Amino acid sequence: MAGWRGSRGGGDGGAQSVERVSSSRTVRLGKVQPQAPGHRTVFCNDRDANALAKFKGNSVSTTKYDVFTFLPKGLFEQFRRVANLYFLMISIISCTPVSPVSPITNVLPLSMVLLVSLVKEAWEDWKRFQNDMAINNSSIEVLQDQKWVFTPWKKLQVGDIIKVKQDGFFPADLLFLASTNADGVCYIETANLDGETNLKIRKALEKTWDYVNPEKISEFKGEIQCEQPNNSLYTYTGNLIVDKQSLPLSPNQLLLRGCSLRNTEYIVGAVVFTGHETKVMMNSMKIPSKRSTLEKKLDKLILALFSVLFSMCVLGAIGSGIFINPKYYYLRFENTGRTEKQFNPDNRFVVAILTFFTLITLYSPIIPISLYVSVEMIKFIQSTQFINNDLHMYHAESNTPASARTSNLNEELGQVEYIFSDKTGTLTRNLMEFFKCSIGGEVYGTGVSEIEIKIAQRTGAKVESQKQPHAAREKGFNFDDGRLMQGAWRNEPNPESCKEFFRCLAICHTVLPEGEESPEKIRYQAASPDESALVIAAKNFGFFFYKRSPTTIYVRESHVEKMGKVQDIAYEILNVLEFNSTRKRQSVVCRYPDGRLVLYCKGADTVIYERLADGDGDLRRISREHLEQFGASGLRTLCLAYRNLSPDEYENWNEKYVQAKSSLRDREKKLDEVAELIEKNLILIGCTAIEDKLQEGVPQCIETLSRAGIKIWVLTGDKMETAINIAYACKLISNSMKQFIISSETDDIREIEERGDQVELARFMKELVKNELKRCNEEAQQYLLSESRPKLALVIDGKCLMYALDPSLRVVLLNLSLNCSAVVCCRVSPLQKAQVTSLVKKGANRITLSIGDGANDVSMIQAAHVGVGISGQEGMQAVMASDFAIAQFRFLTELLLVHGRWSYHRICKVVTYFFYKNLMFTLTQFWFTFETGFSGQRFYDDWFQSLYNVIFTALPVIIIGLFDKDVNATLSKKYPELYKEGIRNAFFKWRVVATWAFFAVYQSLVLYYFVVASSNRAMNSAGKMFGLWDVSTMAFTSVVVTVNIRLLMMCNTITRWHHISVGGSILAWFTFVFIYSGFVLPKEQENIYFVIYVLMSTFYFYFTLLLVPVAALFVDFIYLGVQRWFFPYDYQIVQEIHRHEVDNNRIGLLEIGNNDVSPDDARRYAIMQLPGQKSKHTGFAFDSPGYESFFASQAGVYVPQKAWDVARRASMRNRPKPPRKNEIIIYYTILYILFFFLNTYVAFVESMYHIIPQCSNDSY
Amino acid sequence: MNSGTPSSSAGAPGSAESAAPRRNSKRPKYSRFTQQELPACKPILTPKWVISAFLLVSVVFIPIGVVSLFASRDVVEIIDRYETECIPLDSRNNKTGFMWSNADKTCNRIITVTKHMKQPIYVYYQLDNFYQNHRRYVKSRSDQQLRNPGNERDISTCSPEDTTPEGLPIVPCGLIAWSMFNDTYSLSRNNQQLGINKRGISWQSDRDRKFGKGVFPKNFQNGTAPGGAKLNESIPLSEQEDLIVWMRTAALPTFRKLYGKIEVDLQAGDVINVTLQNNYNTYNFNGKKKLVLSTTSWLGGKNDFMGIAYLTVGGLCFCLAMGFMLIYLIKPRQLGDPSYLSWNRNPGGH
Repeated sequence: MAGWRGSRGGGDGGAQSVERVSSSRTVRLGKVQPQAPGHRTVFCNDRDANALAKFKGNSVSTTKYDVFTFLPKGLFEQFRRVANLYFLMISIISCTPVSPVSPITNVLPLSMVLLVSLVKEAWEDWKRFQNDMAINNSSIEVLQDQKWVFTPWKKLQVGDIIKVKQDGFFPADLLFLASTNADGVCYIETANLDGETNLKIRKALEKTWDYVNPEKISEFKGEIQCEQPNNSLYTYTGNLIVDKQSLPLSPNQLLLRGCSLRNTEYIVGAVVFTGHETKVMMNSMKIPSKRSTLEKKLDKLILALFSVLFSMCVLGAIGSGIFINPKYYYLRFENTGRTEKQFNPDNRFVVAILTFFTLITLYSPIIPISLYVSVEMIKFIQSTQFINNDLHMYHAESNTPASARTSNLNEELGQVEYIFSDKTGTLTRNLMEFFKCSIGGEVYGTGVSEIEIKIAQRTGAKVESQKQPHAAREKGFNFDDGRLMQGAWRNEPNPESCKEFFRCLAICHTVLPEGEESPEKIRYQAASPDESALVIAAKNFGFFFYKRSPTTIYVRESHVEKMGKVQDIAYEILNVLEFNSTRKRQSVVCRYPDGRLVLYCKGADTVIYERLADGDGDLRRISREHLEQFGASGLRTLCLAYRNLSPDEYENWNEKYVQAKSSLRDREKKLDEVAELIEKNLILIGCTAIEDKLQEGVPQCIETLSRAGIKIWVLTGDKMETAINIAYACKLISNSMKQFIISSETDDIREIEERGDQVELARFMKELVKNELKRCNEEAQQYLLSESRPKLALVIDGKCLMYALDPSLRVVLLNLSLNCSAVVCCRVSPLQKAQVTSLVKKGANRITLSIGDGANDVSMIQAAHVGVGISGQEGMQAVMASDFAIAQFRFLTELLLVHGRWSYHRICKVVTYFFYKNLMFTLTQFWFTFETGFSGQRFYDDWFQSLYNVIFTALPVIIIGLFDKDVNATLSKKYPELYKEGIRNAFFKWRVVATWAFFAVYQSLVLYYFVVASSNRAMNSAGKMFGLWDVSTMAFTSVVVTVNIRLLMMCNTITRWHHISVGGSILAWFTFVFIYSGFVLPKEQENIYFVIYVLMSTFYFYFTLLLVPVAALFVDFIYLGVQRWFFPYDYQIVQEIHRHEVDNNRIGLLEIGNNDVSPDDARRYAIMQLPGQKSKHTGFAFDSPGYESFFASQAGVYVPQKAWDVARRASMRNRPKPPRKNEIIIYYTILYILFFFLNTYVAFVESMYHIIPQCSNDSY
Repeated sequence: MNSGTPSSSAGAPGSAESAAPRRNSKRPKYSRFTQQELPACKPILTPKWVISAFLLVSVVFIPIGVVSLFASRDVVEIIDRYETECIPLDSRNNKTGFMWSNADKTCNRIITVTKHMKQPIYVYYQLDNFYQNHRRYVKSRSDQQLRNPGNERDISTCSPEDTTPEGLPIVPCGLIAWSMFNDTYSLSRNNQQLGINKRGISWQSDRDRKFGKGVFPKNFQNGTAPGGAKLNESIPLSEQEDLIVWMRTAALPTFRKLYGKIEVDLQAGDVINVTLQNNYNTYNFNGKKKLVLSTTSWLGGKNDFMGIAYLTVGGLCFCLAMGFMLIYLIKPRQLGDPSYLSWNRNPGGH
C-alpha cells in the first residue's frame, strides 16, 4: 500500500465516499456557503483508495478562456455590454438593403472597440496562463516508495504525504502531521492570504508527531474524515482515524495553500484539499464592482441620447411616409415586383417602418461607441500613472506609495461629501504604547497624553508638557513611574495586585517571541500592537516572557520573592480562550509550577465588569473612575482580572471544553458558550491604558477637508469620552460647535440594566432615543434658522444607534445628522459602521467615502461609494477590500482635493465633449435628411463617418482627460473650497448637458446650412458646380476642424500634447482624405474620387473653412467669455488670482523619501521595519476587481472579482513581478496602432508648435 | 509618453544614510508626466482677450466679407423661368398630357441683357424640387460600368434601370442616367446664332477617371418609357459631358447644372432669342425649370451668402467687442478678486 502506483479509477472499496463527494460539486464562489452535507474521507498515503472518490487534481487554472473558447466566449462577454450589442444590431441592419451606409461604417468602429478589448483580454489571460503554468510546475517532495521524490504541484493528489521545507509554500491544503520542531509545532506566515505578517503557530496532533522521516511515515495509515471543501479560511473540522482511534482536527492542524513555512526546517503533511478545492481558491470573493455615480448618470445621458435618436428616426420615418409619391417618376416609386418595399408608395406604413431602421443606422454615431473605451482608458492611466505614482502620497517611513486598486472610481473621489473614518490606525498611528495603568485602585504613570495636551490647549489651561527622559523608553512602552519600575512595586500598598497584574500581562496573550532570549534582543510577534505593548510592558516591569511552547509559557520573573532575585518560571497553559470581536476578551487558564490553577482574563471594561465576582465595590468604583479618566485622555483601556480555580471545577469544565472543541458543527459557538461558563466570578486586578497617538497631519487634513465642504464622521469602537476627545484633538469638534450627545450611559438606563429585563430595556431605550432624536432635531432646526448658524456636532453611541437605525427613527436620525458638520459614533460594531454608511449613501443619496485600516472596517469600506484602506499598518483586510489604499490619513487631502477633483473635472469634460461632438455630427446628418425627401441618404462618405469617432476626434479628448488641470495641486489644497464644485456636481448637471446640447444644435445648424447655402452656385471662375460629395466633404472638413478647435477652447492648460493631438487629428483627416480621394479604389468610393482636390482648387474652400468654424464657435466663445466675466466659477477666480505665479509644486518633491530623517521619524521608521509591522503589500492594483473590469463596466455589466486574484496572490512567491509597465505598454501600443499615421505628422506639428508664441515655456 | 525631460532623480533613491534599510524602495519615480507637471500654458479668457478676439475676427472678417460681396455683385446673372410659359395656353390644364404627346415642344423665349456681360458667359439650367439626392437615386448607378468597358454587366446597383426587358445590360445604367435632363437651348442675338460651347463643362477628374474612354452607350433609353435624354452611341462616355455633369448628383433638391458657355461678350440691352426644346417633364412633381445666363468672378457665381455671412459675423463681433469694451470701461470686473469666490459671497452658506 505504501506509495502510489499511479493508477486511477482501479481498485475497490470506498464507493460510499463517491456519493458523498458528489454533493459538493455545485459549490459556487461567493459568500460563506452553507456547508455541504456529508464529509469527505481521505485515506492518507493510499492513492488507490482515494482514486475512487475522484478528488480533483491539484493543478490550478485561473484562465478565463482556452484556445477554442476564446473567440466565442470573449465575444459573448463583449456583447453583454449594451453599447456593443447596440452597435452589433446596427451593424446587422447596415448589411441589409435598408441601410443607407455600407456596413463598414458601423462594423469598423465596433470591431476596433472589440479588437482593443479582446487583445487586452487575450493578453491578460495569457499572463494568467503563464502564472498558472509556473505554479503548477513548481516542484514539491512527495513520499513515494519510502523516499521523497520531487513532483510538480499539479501531480499532487488528495491523500499524498508531502514534505515542505522552510520558506516553502504549501501546494495544497494539508493536514499537518509532523514537524522537525519539538512538540510538533510549526510557524506559518499567512501574508498572502490575509496580509497579516505575524507568524502563526500550528500544532500537529500528538499522535502523529514522530512521522518525520520517510521510513517512518510510509507506515502511516490514517483516514481523515473532514468537512467538504468550503471557503471559510478560519474553520476546519474533522477527525483523524488512526489505529481505530478518532482524533479531533481543528484549524490548528490545517496548513492552507498559499501560506508559507517559517522558522521550521520542514514539515510533513497529508494533502486534504487540492487545486480549486483549497480554501483559498474557494475563497475568491464576489465583490460587486462599484460604479461611479457619474458613470451611472452617464448611462442616463446615453438613454437620453437614445430617446433623441428615437424621436429623430420617428420624425424622419413619418416624413418619408408622407413624401413617397409616384409623381417623382425619376425615383420610380412604383409597385412592380422588383421594387423594394421601402419604395413602394402603395404601402406608406411599411415605407415609414423601413425608413425608421434606415435612419437608426444613419444616425447611429449619436451614441458614442468609443466613449466607454476612452473613459476607461483615461481612468486607467489616471489611476496607475498618476495616483499610484504621486510622490506626495508616498509615505517614506513605511515605504508605501498610494495605490488605486480600481480605476472605476477616480472621479467619484472628486465628489465625496461624507467621510466615514475609523479612529484607530486611521486617525491615530496604531503604534500602541503602554502609557498608564491602574492597579488595585491606584493610578500609575505620569505621562501627559497628546490628547490631554490638546484638551488643555483648548481650555486654555497650562500643562507642563515637559518631555520625559527617553531613557527607559522603548517601542511600545512609554511609561514613566518610579513606583513600579525595578521592583519598586514591592513597596506599594498592594504588591499582590501588582504581581497578579504583571503576571496577567505576561501570561494572558497569544504573542510569539522570536530571536534571542534576552530582554534587549527579543522580538514579539503579536496579532495586534496592543498585545505586544502589554507584553513589552510586562517585560519592563520585570516579568520577561521569553519562550513559548504549545503548552508552556516561560517567564523570567525578577524581584518576586525578594528584590533582585531572578527566576525562570514555566507556566503550563491549559486552555486559551481566544479573543474575538463578540467576546471582546481573552482568557488563559494556566497552572503554576506549584499547582495553582488560575484563569487570567483581559478585555473591554464592559465585558469584564459584567463578569466580576460580587464584593469590593470600592475597587470597582475607583477603577471605573480611572477608566473614564483614561478614556478622557484618549487612551485605550483594557481591564485585567483573574480567578483562582479549584482542580475539580477545572476538570469539570475542561471536559465540556474538550467536547466543544472536538465537535464538528458550530464549534465556534460552542466554544464561546463553554468559555462563558468559566469566565465568571472574576477578581478585578486593574486596568491598562495604552496611548495611540494621532497620525501626523490629521487635524490639518480634517480642517482642510471640512473647508472643502466634506463632512467627516468618526465611527469608532472606543468609549464616548475617548472618541470625543480624539474628535477635539483632530479638530473635528470645536468649542464653537453646538453638540448633541445621545448616550446610553445614563443612570436611568443603568438602573434598568441592572434589573436585567431585556424587553423593558429595549422598550425604554427606544423611547429614549426617539425623544432625544426629536429634541435634538428640533433644536438643530432652530439653530439653523438662527442668525449665527453655529456648526453642529452629534455624538451618539452604539447602543442608541442601534435603536436610532430602526426604520421608524431612521429619517429623524438622517435629518439630524445631515445638518451636523461632524458626527461621532462611538462603541459601534463593524455592522453598524456599514449601516450608518449606507444610511447616508442610500437615504441621503450623497457620495460617501469610508476609510479604515482594520478588518472591522471592511464592511464599511465595501458599503461606501468609495472605500479607502490605510496600508502599511495592521493587517491587509481593509486594503484588500478597498478601492484605494493610502499610507496615511492626511493623504486624503491629496487623493480627494487633487486627484479626485482633477479626475472629476476631466471626466466631466470628456463625457460632455463626447456627447457634444457626436450629437453635433449626427445633427448635420439630420438636417440633410429633410432635404433628401426623408430617404435616409447619407451626407458623409462611409469612411468619413466610421473614422470620425475612432480617429479624427479620438486622441485630443483622451489628452484632455489626462492633462487638463484647472488649477495646480498646490492651489487645489490652498483653496479646498474649490472641491465644493464637485460635491454640487457643477460640471455634469443636466443644465450643463443642456448647454452643450444647445451648442451642438446651433453648431450643426451653422455647419450644415452655411456650407450648403454657400455652395449652390458656380464655384470657380470656370463656372463649374459642386455635387453632393463636394459639399459633404466640405462640411465634414468643417466639422472636424470645429470640433477639434472647440476642444482647445475648453482646455485650462495647453501642453504640447494638446497641440500634437489636435493638430494631429486635423492633419490625420487631411492626410486621410488626400490619400483616400487620390486613388480610384475598386469599389464604393468613386463618389469621393478627387473631391478634396477639386474643393481645394477653389477659393470657396478656404473661405468656408475660415467662416464656418468661426461662425459655429462664435456662440460658444460668447458663452465662455460671458460666463467667465459675469458668472465665474470659483476655480476661474483662483486661476486669475494666481495667473502670474509659476508653479512651485515640484519643490521638495524630489526630496520625499530621500532626505535625511529626523530622529523621531527615524524611530518611527525603525518601528515600521520590525517584522510584526512590516507590510508586504505589493500593490495589487492590477489584480483588483477594478482592473479586471477595465473596459468592462459598460452599461450595467456586473464584474465579479476574479478567483485568480486571490488564488494567484496565494500561490505565488513574492517574486518581483514587473507589473505596471507591461499593462501600460500594451495600451500605449494600441493607442499607437490606432493613431499610427499620426506619428508621421508629429514632427510637422512640433515645428508648427515652435512658431506658436512661446507659451510652452511657462512651466505650469 | 513622458514629456521630453523626465529629469528623474529616482536613479539614486537612497542617497545618504537611509540607503541601507531602503533597498526595495517603492518610492515612485519622478517624472513630469506622472507628477502631472508637464509644461503647459494656461490661457485665461480675460475680458481683454475676449475683446481682442472679437476685434480680431471683425478685422479679418469684414474685409473678406466686403471683398466677396463685391465679387458676387460683379457677377451678372439672368434667370428665365420657363416651365409654365413653354406650355401652350390650351394645354396648361394638362401639362403632363402635353409632355407625353407628340406635339412640337419648341418654345421661344426672349431675354434682355441688363448689364454688360463679359465672356465667357455660362449657360445653366436650374431644376427645382428635383431630388437628385434621394437615396434611391444617388445609389442607382454603376461606377464600375461607367469606367471600364469590361464591367458592362456590373449593374447590381442599378435597379430598376439595369437591363432591357430582354436582359441586355443598359450602359449607362441606373436612374440617374435614365432621367437625364434633355431640354436644349439655342441662343441667338439679332438673328445671329450664339454658339454654345459644351466642351469643358465637367470637372476634369470626372472625365479622366470616372467615365471610360472605351465605354459607349448601349441599350440606353430603349424601354417603353424613356426618362430623359438619349445618348449618341458612337461617342464614348468620357466625352458625353452633359451626362458627366448630370451624373455628379447635386446636394440639394434645387440645383443648377452647367449647360455650356458662350464665348462672346453680351452688351447691355442686347435681346437674346432662346429657342428651346421643352422636353424634360418636371410637371408631374411641379418642378420649376429655369435657364440661367451668368458670368463668374474669381470667386465663382453670384452668391451673396458668403459675403453677407462674413459681414454679419464680422459685424456682430465688432458690436460685441464694443459692447464688452463698454462694460469693461464702465463696470470692470477686477481679475482674480477673491470676493467673487462663492464662499466669500455668502459666508457660511452651504
